[in-house]
Amino acid sequence: MWDNPSLRCLLAIAFLHLLGLIYSQETGFPEAPENLKCITHDLNRMICSWDATSSANLGLTYKICYTNSEPFSPVCIETEGKRADIPVTIGSTNIQITTLNASGTPLATETFVLPEENVSLIPLTPQILNLSADFSTYTLYLKWNDSGSVFQYELDASWQIQILHKETLETVALINYDSKLTGKDSILSWDWTSDIPLECTSYYVKIRCYINEPYFTGRKEWSEWSPIRTVPEKDTKPNSPMVFPQDKVVLVGSNVTFCCLYNEGESIKFMKYGSKSYPLLRLNKWSSAIKVQNVSASISSGTNVWCLLEPDGLEGTVLFVGYAPDTPQNLSCETHTFINITCSWKPGRATELYTQRQTKYILFERISKENVTCEVDELKPEHHCNFSVHANQKIYNFTLGASNPLGQAESSLLIDVTQRVHLETPDKFTVSTNSSTNAHLSWYIPGNFIQIRLLCQIEINNSNSEQQLQSVSMAGAENSNYRAWVDALHPYATYTFRVRCSASEHFWRWSEWSEGKKLTTLEAPPARGPDIWRERSPVGETLTVFWKPLLLSEANGIILSHEVSCYSREIMLKAHEVPVPLNSTEIKLGGNDCLISVVAKNRAGSSPPSRITSMDLPSDNVKTELAIATGNGIYISWPSDPNVTCGYTLKCCISSGSEPCKVDWEMFPSNATDAVIKSALFQPGVRYNFSLYGCKHSGYQLLQNITGYMKELPPKVAPNFTVEETSSDSILVKWEDIPVEDCQGFLKGYILYFAKGEKSSSKTSFTDEENKTEKNITDLTKKSLRILDLQGKTSYRLGLRAYTVGGIGPLKDLYVVTKENSVGLIIAILIPVAVAVVLGVVTSILCYQKREWIKETFYPDIPNPENSKALQFQKNICEGNTALKTLEMNPCTPNCVEVVETQSTVLKIEDTEIISPVADSELPEDGSDPETGSHVVVSYCPPIIEEEISSPPIDEPVGSSQVIYIDIQSMYQPQVNPEEEPEINFVTTAGYKPQMQLPINAMKMESHSPTEEDLDKTVGYRPQANTNVWKLDSPDSPISIQSNNENGSFGSPCSINSRQFLIPPKDYEDSPTHNNTGWSFTNFFQNKPND
Amino acid sequence: MASAEQSPVPLQHHNLCSRIILLARKIRSDVASLLESYVERQGLDRTISLDSVDGVPVAAVEQGGELTVAEQLGANLQAYRAFQALLGEVLEEQRSHLTPLDTDFHASIQAVLLQVAALAYQLEELLALLGHSRPAWEAAGPEAPGRHSLFEMKLRGLKVLQELAHWTVRSVRDLRQVAMHSQGSGTAAPDSQFSA
Repeated sequence: MWDNPSLRCLLAIAFLHLLGLIYSQETGFPEAPENLKCITHDLNRMICSWDATSSANLGLTYKICYTNSEPFSPVCIETEGKRADIPVTIGSTNIQITTLNASGTPLATETFVLPEENVSLIPLTPQILNLSADFSTYTLYLKWNDSGSVFQYELDASWQIQILHKETLETVALINYDSKLTGKDSILSWDWTSDIPLECTSYYVKIRCYINEPYFTGRKEWSEWSPIRTVPEKDTKPNSPMVFPQDKVVLVGSNVTFCCLYNEGESIKFMKYGSKSYPLLRLNKWSSAIKVQNVSASISSGTNVWCLLEPDGLEGTVLFVGYAPDTPQNLSCETHTFINITCSWKPGRATELYTQRQTKYILFERISKENVTCEVDELKPEHHCNFSVHANQKIYNFTLGASNPLGQAESSLLIDVTQRVHLETPDKFTVSTNSSTNAHLSWYIPGNFIQIRLLCQIEINNSNSEQQLQSVSMAGAENSNYRAWVDALHPYATYTFRVRCSASEHFWRWSEWSEGKKLTTLEAPPARGPDIWRERSPVGETLTVFWKPLLLSEANGIILSHEVSCYSREIMLKAHEVPVPLNSTEIKLGGNDCLISVVAKNRAGSSPPSRITSMDLPSDNVKTELAIATGNGIYISWPSDPNVTCGYTLKCCISSGSEPCKVDWEMFPSNATDAVIKSALFQPGVRYNFSLYGCKHSGYQLLQNITGYMKELPPKVAPNFTVEETSSDSILVKWEDIPVEDCQGFLKGYILYFAKGEKSSSKTSFTDEENKTEKNITDLTKKSLRILDLQGKTSYRLGLRAYTVGGIGPLKDLYVVTKENSVGLIIAILIPVAVAVVLGVVTSILCYQKREWIKETFYPDIPNPENSKALQFQKNICEGNTALKTLEMNPCTPNCVEVVETQSTVLKIEDTEIISPVADSELPEDGSDPETGSHVVVSYCPPIIEEEISSPPIDEPVGSSQVIYIDIQSMYQPQVNPEEEPEINFVTTAGYKPQMQLPINAMKMESHSPTEEDLDKTVGYRPQANTNVWKLDSPDSPISIQSNNENGSFGSPCSINSRQFLIPPKDYEDSPTHNNTGWSFTNFFQNKPND
Repeated sequence: MASAEQSPVPLQHHNLCSRIILLARKIRSDVASLLESYVERQGLDRTISLDSVDGVPVAAVEQGGELTVAEQLGANLQAYRAFQALLGEVLEEQRSHLTPLDTDFHASIQAVLLQVAALAYQLEELLALLGHSRPAWEAAGPEAPGRHSLFEMKLRGLKVLQELAHWTVRSVRDLRQVAMHSQGSGTAAPDSQFSA
């Protein structure tokens, strides 16, 4: 029975009810209070509530008596409800609750001990005072009362703000906000910025509170949420479709959400940012959005965002994407006029924003607390802003602020305005003069510079582009003209003046240069007399006076004429004026010397006179010295002459081109002994002659002549030379002087080259000659040279060059052949002849004494063949031949000789061997021994028998080895197919081979045969001499190779009937081969060493 | 010969019509290139729907019946007067709000604006020559700035240029009819009619 779970459950419930009845009986009544709960909102009082059964007892009241601790007596209150407001006490509170019936009779009493831990602190529900929205910034502003007065002391409070949106009240954000309660009511405010334009959907806000009382040990709980508040203006759908945000400016890289609001019945077809469609996010039934990530900088007119609505409609907005302003760079402030301070700066990175969105600059001065809004031109790389100068203010502390919708930046600068003076460009600049050395300058500078001094710089440029700067300091004035004058100018010179100014005491910057003004000073008399010289005519009747034109810097104006006067004892004898451009004049002396005076004249006056005496002193033994070329001048030195009292004059006459030479001179003081003469007319390689005069008390004396070069060059031409005399071992060479104008320097000597060489030699220079000999001839007086120790009858190449300090001149060469040495020739003939005669005599004597031995050795008695049985032929062999004459050819002419042998392959093998060296190793395998084991069969066949070499049947047995005599009548008739004849290039058939048609392989045979013995085994007829001897050309001649005449045997000693070679070929082959054994005297000489 | 027999007035009509036609063609050509640069500078699409933009004279307005020469020319004149004002606004909007640095672009709009003004003047001349009274200026002045969003400014400028191009086509057609009519009749009757 106990296993039934339902029964067990019922029993448990009955048991619990029974327990309840027992408990009620213990407390007395079922109306006894229970489950006491207490909460506090302000930590001052708490609201306690309890549960009690009151269904059967209407009119019940409760008496609550509470006490904190022993010293205090309990406080009792009565209440009809089951809650009571009692003070919060520290520690625990004893609460006795008595349930009274309507007549006031206690029904049940319950006592509770309420510790602080069981009390909950729940703040009052906060109330939102105000909720507003800034739709341009997507920001919500929230205000509420913190009810701080509820608590009597400071407390930490936390607030939780919940933002909800859409009609479904989705939570957008839940933000915690902490504050401190001060014991007084305070209005707290908080703002929140949305990612989405607030117009896009509805937003709602609610708030709750939490008090953090650190000494309260009970439970601390969040308050109830405040009533929800809606963002007021936009809680309904718009009247017309729109896209938000409208014309907004955002930073590059931002994420932007755009929404399109539309009317009921409409829908969005697509929504685009720029030209790209984005996926739509539905916000509510009248709004959809797109989210664009990381936007890039827009064009100046902004990026379009639009949505296309259905059934029709188009709405859009423009987004401007750019940057916050950069910090103004290179901020610099200065004053031009002391009226305004101009600050300039560079804007830094472009913001990409324009018009209303462009950066705005405000210049703020901290000391005067004034600010100026700056108008800037966006197109210019540098911005400017003016700030007025204040009286009695020198120090300015500027802050330049830059701001645009995306941000702001600033730069600061502290200046002393008196140290930042940058004057305007001097204006109205004028230059004037009334003298030859001074000029007056005037200019205007706008501005008030009374409190500073000015420093001005005057730039003076003359016509030679020489620049001079003069500085002048002057007191500043207000909008005034400033004046200055410059002196030490040169008369009759043109100058260009400019001026610029700055502050004198604290230099900051120069102003710009004023415009340039030109001025020409007035003329002045020439500064000095001209340089003069004179030359007497050869007979001394006339005197030519020369003068040099004055330099522009000396003339002080335009020279109009020169006045030449002749004085004798202070009395002017003659005077005449020579107009420019003449620079010389003749004076007839009439046998009297005088003192010549020359004066240059211009419009302003005359120069001091230059004087020179006409008297010449006689000169003895005037020498000509050589000057030294320095490369750019001529170094001249002379011995000091104590009698020279008024200096030296070096005169020369330099001609340029075809013009007559121009007299020039240079004067030196009496103590000078050398000089370097330079002139633009000097040319390298040209000889110049100078005359040095000494100025003595009574006149000029020619001291020495000097010749020299500015720069020495190598001689222009080679010296002419000839061969005067030739012998077998020497050559006499003679040469001529080089003309002076071709020397281009002082000749230092000649270099003679000689070397063996033919005229046809390709060598063009002696530097290519390996065995050349050169002789340096430094004695310039020497005009000939004999070259010794030469070889006779030899061609020599001779070359001659002259040289100066400047280098070696060109070469002239010629070829000459020495004469033959006749003594040597005679000796060369006589010695061999004598040797030959002596050898002949000795040989003859020896042969005579040994004649018997020689005869036995070389010429033994020959037996008579007729007595030999071996040579007796049978009659049937040669029928009709009556006599047994072995070598008689007619009338019995054998047609063919056939030798019959047992081993018949020899002939083929031999040929094969010749053709291919490989066969040499194959033969022993056949068991045949070509040297011993076989009998060489010589088959003599007058006609040509040829076989193709291409298929030599090495092992092919030959059926017959008999000697076949072929009819001599058909010896030249081919026995092979005429059509095959062109292909036949090798004769393999043994036997006689026509000596004109031996194949080329026959020659190859020689080169291929490994040994001489192989050659011996070559079958067939052999020429009776070495075939090489008969060759038309040398063995290595390609013609002989191709001619197939290796064995050609014109006129070779041969016999038709012969079976053997009369002279073994080996004899010839053993003999050395010499192509050219001839000997000549020429060779003899040529083989001699060259020396 | 026919030309020798023509009176000076029809000849003037003809010449003036020719000049107006030439100018209208020139405006059309310039507006075509201006449209290209306008679309590019405003980041717009040529195919964008401009139906929602109002306040711009539309060339393809259906007329209830046949119009007289005076009515037709008057409509042209009123349209170009409106375009003159609208182009001025477009130019100002570009300078002040949209393309402040693009002076070449502004010069292009200004050039078209001047040509439109010249065309309106010539139409007034033609009307006077034909003996018609000039229509009065309509009171619709330039709209207050800031009324439109920047996007609307862009669309409006585009619509102004597009409709101006359409109007030049219509003007050429109308002026040809006026010229033909004046050639055919010797002089244009004030109450001559032709279909729109």
